[in-house]
Amino acid sequence: MNKSKFGALGVYTVLYLAFLYIPVLFIPLFSFNDSIYIAFPLKEFTLQHYVDMIERKPLINALYNSLQVGFSVSVISTIFGMLAAKTFTKYHIPGTKPLTAFISIPLVIPLIILGISLLTVLKYFDIKLSLFTVGAAHTVICIPFAMFVLISRLEGFDKSMEEAAQDLGETPWITFWRVTFPLAMPGIIASLLLCFTISFDEFILAFFLGSDQPTLPLYMWSQLRFPAKLPSVLALGSVIFLTSFAVVCFAEWVRRRGVQTQTGAAI
Amino acid sequence: MSDESFISIKNISKHFGNVRACDDVSFDIRRGEFFALLGPSGCGKTTLLRMLAGFEIPTMGEIFIDGQPMAAIPPYERPVNMVFQSYAIFPHLTVAQNIGFGLRKDKLPKAEMDKKVDEALEMIAMAGYGHRGADELSGGQRQRVALARALIKKPKVLLLDEPLGALDKKLREQMQLELRDLQREVGITFVFVTHDQEEALTMSDRIAVMAAGKALEIDSPVDLYEKPKTPFCADFLGTMNFFEGSVDSIGGGEAVIKTAEVGSLKSKGPNMDFSTNDRVMAAIRPENIEVAFEQPSSGSFITGKVRASAFLGDRAHVYINVEGRKDPVLTAMQNMDGAASQMSGQDHTVWLTWSDEAVILLPQDAS
Repeated sequence: MNKSKFGALGVYTVLYLAFLYIPVLFIPLFSFNDSIYIAFPLKEFTLQHYVDMIERKPLINALYNSLQVGFSVSVISTIFGMLAAKTFTKYHIPGTKPLTAFISIPLVIPLIILGISLLTVLKYFDIKLSLFTVGAAHTVICIPFAMFVLISRLEGFDKSMEEAAQDLGETPWITFWRVTFPLAMPGIIASLLLCFTISFDEFILAFFLGSDQPTLPLYMWSQLRFPAKLPSVLALGSVIFLTSFAVVCFAEWVRRRGVQTQTGAAI
Repeated sequence: MSDESFISIKNISKHFGNVRACDDVSFDIRRGEFFALLGPSGCGKTTLLRMLAGFEIPTMGEIFIDGQPMAAIPPYERPVNMVFQSYAIFPHLTVAQNIGFGLRKDKLPKAEMDKKVDEALEMIAMAGYGHRGADELSGGQRQRVALARALIKKPKVLLLDEPLGALDKKLREQMQLELRDLQREVGITFVFVTHDQEEALTMSDRIAVMAAGKALEIDSPVDLYEKPKTPFCADFLGTMNFFEGSVDSIGGGEAVIKTAEVGSLKSKGPNMDFSTNDRVMAAIRPENIEVAFEQPSSGSFITGKVRASAFLGDRAHVYINVEGRKDPVLTAMQNMDGAASQMSGQDHTVWLTWSDEAVILLPQDAS
């Protein structure tokens, strides 16, 4: 074993993880600090920032806006993603690869470009900016995620399941509800959670396409101008951080559980 | 509709791009028959079965089931049910829900539906398994559930795609007999696909041997084995020794074939439909060749040396080198009183004899 080489890699790993996580951990840390300034040394422990957070009406409104958008976006994106995934896994239509690539383009367009272009289009057609326009933009970027999650799920189970259902007398439509949908359930849940998370903390599109009803990230950003209000933003940041983390873990757990029952059943 | 052509396959072709999976196939299947589609992988047998089920649409030709044209009928309205190769048991449903899956449309009262499912469970000797999850079943049980699920619909035809392929050897042999009994009991026409010639011979009333998208021969297992009409069938069903040659004389139910490898061969077998100087294959089954350690006093024989033998317990396959012939001649002998174990030593000189009736004449392949 080359000990010195391992040591160098170990140092690299520690530095990498530190750089990645320590700044994030500052947020919860200072959210419990009894001071409006983010600076060491730490003062007393307090929950006051959390109390402030709950008592601020605009903040709760922004949270509600974000939940509304996130919920709608996740459902709509998952439906569209399911349609695309079903098409690409069931039919060997020519041009499947270019088509999937085409649908995934929003993933690689910088959000700022996407935001500006969508804004231009909305202005051209004189569509009023609102939570609807934000939701529509989020749907555009969420569909590819939903599609890929669902493609991997649909590819995971035996195609003859659907044929068997049809063979037993069910139309393709009923087959979808009696067989495909329950089998794809873990993928559907994963897709819903993933799309919700993406929409929930998206900033740029919401900034370009939002109106006087800000989503949560927009509201938080606007509060940064007032130092006195920063700590309650930190408190909210901590809550969101924890919630996103929990949601993503849950989605991954559901997905893995699905994979396991699938392989278990195949034996 | 006559029982002779209960299922009628008329000039069916199926092309996938440039590949001709089925190429102008025509034959009839009788009512109540256990019919096998046998062939190597890629011969088009599964494609043909899937066309019967309605999952593939023929490029050309027509299929009739009980006199009814199938062209415009989708899979969910065909009077056929299928046992899939993977069994396709729904993993999110219990055994009872799987078996009752196809009954939803019948709109039966719950009690009656439960009764039907219970009867089906009994038929497959799995009474009491109804509440188990699909993932708690063994391979053999999954196969039975797939069968019950298809048969509960009382189809006119049951299609089986390599139904025993996923089972181990002992279970496979047991299921062969059970399937056979079940088919007689329910009286439904069974069409099954297999690449296993032994399985086809054991189970079916008739076999269609398929190769390269064509149905080469359709006959009963015994006739296919004993009176093959093509070298492919002769070779695919069991094993065969081929001797290339040409017809020297023919007539009166016998022929003499001139071969380069073993001289003249006399044949009193089937297929005398040749004329002098036709290029033919003279074919002899390994079990029809008798191996002697001493020169026979009369009759035709050839000599050779034992090259190798494969001891199979109840019998042995002995490979014998014959001078002037590249491939060894394969013989099969019963291990009666340890006869086969004498073959273990190499380089014995042996004499090979056979009856003239065992020599089958076949046309040489165009290729």
